[in-house]
Amino acid sequence: MVNENLVKDVVKEPYKYGFVTDIETEKIAKGLNEDIVRLISQKKEEPKFLLDFRLKAFKKWQKMKEPDWAALGYKKIDYQDIIYYSAPKQKEKISSLDEVDPKLLETFDKLGIPLTEQKKLTNVAVDAVFDSVSIATTFREELAEHGVIFCSISEAVKNHSDLIEKYLGTVVPASDNYFAALNSAVFSDGSFVYIPKGVTCPMDLSSYFRINSGDSGQFERTLIIAEESSSVSYLEGCTAPMFDTNTLHAAVVELIALDDASIKYSTVQNWYAGDEEGIGGIFNFVTKRGKCLGKRSKISWSQVETGSAITWKYPSCLLLGEESVGEFYSVALTNNLQQADTGTKMIHIGPKTKSTIVSKGISAGKSINSYRGLVKMGTKATGSRNYSQCDSMLIGDQASANTFPYIKSQQPNSEIEHEASTCRISEDQLFYLQSRGIEFEEAVSMMVSGFCRDVFNQLPMEFAAEADKLLALKLEGSVG
Amino acid sequence: MEIIEKIKTNKSIDNLTEIQKICLNKLQSSPLPNPKSEQWRLSNKSKFSNFLNYSVNEKDPIFDIPFPKTSQSTIRLVIGDNCQTNFIEENFSIKQISEDKLVKYIKEQISYFDQNENWSDLLNLSLNCTKNILGLKINGSEIPPIEIFSHASSNSLNAKTLVIFLEKNCDIDLLQVNLGKDNSSLSQSTFLCLEENSSINHGVVSYGENKSNLLNSLNVIQQNNSEYNLGSLHFKFNYARFEIRIKQSKGNAKTNIKGMQITKKDEQISTFTKIDFHGPNGFLDQINKSLADDKSHAIFEGSIIVPKIAQKTDASQLSRNLLLSNLAQIDTKPQLEIIADDVKCKHGATISQLNEEELFYMRTRGITLTEASKLQLSSYFQEIISFIPVSQDRWDLLDKLLNEN
Repeated sequence: MVNENLVKDVVKEPYKYGFVTDIETEKIAKGLNEDIVRLISQKKEEPKFLLDFRLKAFKKWQKMKEPDWAALGYKKIDYQDIIYYSAPKQKEKISSLDEVDPKLLETFDKLGIPLTEQKKLTNVAVDAVFDSVSIATTFREELAEHGVIFCSISEAVKNHSDLIEKYLGTVVPASDNYFAALNSAVFSDGSFVYIPKGVTCPMDLSSYFRINSGDSGQFERTLIIAEESSSVSYLEGCTAPMFDTNTLHAAVVELIALDDASIKYSTVQNWYAGDEEGIGGIFNFVTKRGKCLGKRSKISWSQVETGSAITWKYPSCLLLGEESVGEFYSVALTNNLQQADTGTKMIHIGPKTKSTIVSKGISAGKSINSYRGLVKMGTKATGSRNYSQCDSMLIGDQASANTFPYIKSQQPNSEIEHEASTCRISEDQLFYLQSRGIEFEEAVSMMVSGFCRDVFNQLPMEFAAEADKLLALKLEGSVG
Repeated sequence: MEIIEKIKTNKSIDNLTEIQKICLNKLQSSPLPNPKSEQWRLSNKSKFSNFLNYSVNEKDPIFDIPFPKTSQSTIRLVIGDNCQTNFIEENFSIKQISEDKLVKYIKEQISYFDQNENWSDLLNLSLNCTKNILGLKINGSEIPPIEIFSHASSNSLNAKTLVIFLEKNCDIDLLQVNLGKDNSSLSQSTFLCLEENSSINHGVVSYGENKSNLLNSLNVIQQNNSEYNLGSLHFKFNYARFEIRIKQSKGNAKTNIKGMQITKKDEQISTFTKIDFHGPNGFLDQINKSLADDKSHAIFEGSIIVPKIAQKTDASQLSRNLLLSNLAQIDTKPQLEIIADDVKCKHGATISQLNEEELFYMRTRGITLTEASKLQLSSYFQEIISFIPVSQDRWDLLDKLLNEN
């Protein structure tokens, strides 16, 4: 056998974002009941419609059952043992970044997030969310000149409550699923983006989510609205410290694209995945959905999923507008005892809609990596097309790779194509590269990166480079 | 549902066979399959309860089929009273399995059953008295093609079971025909066991009539170096389920499956396959085709399971579907569950209608649209039909299908 152990060693890079920031935080008591929901709403000084929205969601959540259909096994989550609101203590209102606690800035600096506006060269506006609250959003003035609104969702509730009232919960209704209902009841912060008619957002927008406390869950909510003929590219990054307990993350992302608008949503998810024995790590239950409401609108999801002990995530597109386009590009890497059940849903409702799915799963160690996707052609989706491709790469003989594509068609004048394959890093390929003087680890990394190329090509430049590096690091020591 | 009520209360009735008792016991705790489970989720509830609405008929229906008469070159058996196995035992190396052995084998199979997955088998075996179970042990390779019929009678539910052991180095062609009647339900369970180096070309043709229902399950165990080729065709059933479970118990075996289901009116026909590789070097080539017209619904779910022990498995699965009407629907779910890393596994699925460019080309050559569609359909059907053994020379299945479409 070619260097079995060597390849295994390649996947064993320690998690480098596992530090904890020692900062005073304000937390509420553990547990979840109607009073907690009211308390969160009160702390955020929310208008009545939002409190009602939360209470309604909470009532629905109480009646719902945690889903068990995914190919995931994890210990039962005690929803009463979670703190639903935790925020770093700071002055009431921050007028500029100088007033942000330097420790917080230092944290984001360590994570490589350009919060201080000296780093303008990167030309990315950032909204940084620490535990339950957004602590800073950069480049706001410049964006405002173009009419782009980019702020935390709490601020949007105060300053643009009409937009929030109009759109919140229209793509992912509170009763959509168990975790979406939970999020709707207790969501604390997140980002809000509004791109006005005809505007191409002058820079990439980015949110950075950081979980700091070990006992509080993170429930952020993101809402992006792209008006007619506008376009935006949005990036999202996530990290968390290493704790030996499991932290719950249940987020909701809603995208709305009107006529001719386009939204590109990219994620690099690197939550703490737990140690080699599977102790600790984030439970990541996320509902992401985009609505292509307008004609010729386009929503594109690209994601690199490398972290989390448990991933349950299906970014989807509702293709309502005529000729609207949905895309999903995903790389999901699982190692050690990680479990990921991820994929997408493409619901074709309008005529001449198109969707593309490219999913690459890499399973190493003893992990389980499943693709689960739904493609549905409704009765009115004449002339619609879907193409799906799911490839899995297995590293070692203990990891498992599953593919569960659900395909449903009610429209004869539409076409659906799906293909899936499984491969591994072959000894021949490794031998060939090594015989050309390429070191073993580099050879593995090259092959993984080649396997994922279709997806990396879709990521924004800097993300693509980061993703490539991230995979190489994560895979260090696991190929054999 | 009369039958379910009967199952619930049947305990007091005497003269049940041992197998019936075991199955009834298993069913009593949950007499119906879980409608939310993956295997039963898409099943049409009213059609399914309609299946169970007929009372069990233990008398043998009159055997009257629209298909060719017996010929010298084939062996024909009808499961039930009239089964003339004595004649075969005299002339060929085919033996009827003794009741003890049959019971022992079926009991062993039942011990592996999953309540949901094998519900159709449990129902079949709990309804079935001994005379409707045919068990054969086949040896040698000089055996003419065999045709085995299961048939239902109008306004009743019939249950038939077939068990076949194919001994070492044996090689046969077997065509199984399930015939539905007006307003009838047929429950057919088949157990095949292929010993080392044996090979079978197995055809399953299920041909219904107005409002006939069918639950057809097929359990195959393949030993080392065995080859199993299955060609199947299901059509004209108001409600039909075809469940195929194949286990390559030690790997090193070959499986080829070509199946097709055709639905019209408001029919629902579904195919579920589960291929389990329990050893290295297994091979699978599977294609399943569906054609849905009018307001009908065709379903395919296929899973391929490759555990750690099944290294060097080479498996491919393709689901091709034609949707011909605005009101029809197709659901398909080919799935892979893989742990072994040195394997070649792939699957694909397509749903579309007849190829317009090809139709246009044929029309420019002076072929009418109807003829052109027929030509396209015939090529679509031909791939499957040519794979069904015995039928080719004697049964004009293709004409039958084309005339009806």
